[in-house]
Amino acid sequence: MSMAATKALGASDGHDHGHHEVAEDSHFGKATGGKIAMWIFIAQDGMSFGGLLLAYGLLRIFSPDWPVPSHVLGIGLTAVATFILICSSVSMVMAVEAAKAADKAATVRWLMLTILGGLSFLGIQAYEYTHLVEAGITFSSSTFHGVDINDRFGSTFYAVTGFHGMHVTAGVIYLICVLRGALAGKFTTGGNSYSPVEIVGLFWHFVDLVWILVFTFIYLL
Amino acid sequence: MSQSKHTSGHAPAPASHAPASSGHAEPGHGEEHSHKATYITIFLILGFLTVVEVFVPQVYASAYDQHLKMLLLVGLAVSKAVLVGLYFMHLKWEKPWLKWIALMPVYMGIFTIILMLETVYR
Repeated sequence: MSMAATKALGASDGHDHGHHEVAEDSHFGKATGGKIAMWIFIAQDGMSFGGLLLAYGLLRIFSPDWPVPSHVLGIGLTAVATFILICSSVSMVMAVEAAKAADKAATVRWLMLTILGGLSFLGIQAYEYTHLVEAGITFSSSTFHGVDINDRFGSTFYAVTGFHGMHVTAGVIYLICVLRGALAGKFTTGGNSYSPVEIVGLFWHFVDLVWILVFTFIYLL
Repeated sequence: MSQSKHTSGHAPAPASHAPASSGHAEPGHGEEHSHKATYITIFLILGFLTVVEVFVPQVYASAYDQHLKMLLLVGLAVSKAVLVGLYFMHLKWEKPWLKWIALMPVYMGIFTIILMLETVYR
């Protein structure tokens, strides 16, 4: 087998430890298979969110009695949650940078902060849901403190924010798995070994990106 | 073993990198230097835009300004999303093919906008 072919097969030969390189591809450069796969997943997942937001938009446009979201939902608290998610995106890029620089302690620290951000977001969402249910807004019926409001307000709200919350939950579990690997020192041996941290990062930023749009369409508009 | 000779031509062993000298960690990898300063800048912009977003609905509360409010809010949200995609998700530094894949949901968005415009201006 030629040298080029051996290189293309990846760095499984062990001799080249600390310098795992992906062969340069004319279309994707040095992106790993895992990274390309995650991007394809993100693209289709983005369309799932797109479908939900589109359905929400249509239901809302054709309902003249749609309540003003800010009269029902807490904008301030959600803005804090949004900011926490943005912060966790920053800690995520820092984790990738640390893994790239083969700094295990910093990788672990930034990953833990990112997980903490995700858990805080979920905590705020749980708190928010509890209060909304108490006020009368559920998935199938909507009254707000005894006043009837459009039923679809509750269904679309929980469908969109719930689907996103599910992504945050999945992201936290995914991050915990990556954290275990980071604690074992798997991603800080140089070369391309940081790749799994970068890939979980892509998913995490996507969850943040979607929330930015959800915050605007569901809460602010 | 020939391993020591094998690795000698590459960047120094990862363990020797002190996190303090974060600026240009790998001398041989010009395009992969640290983006930390960029990330902090983007973070500050995102934080600022979020504050602006929260105040926009209060400034444009009257029914008269609804279209302007909508344009501003959607513009702000899309700008933030693009910043996250370009910088945090590294799209700015990726090859065109990966960018086209990432744009797939946007094609659907464009189609949606066309349909909405047809409804509005029919």
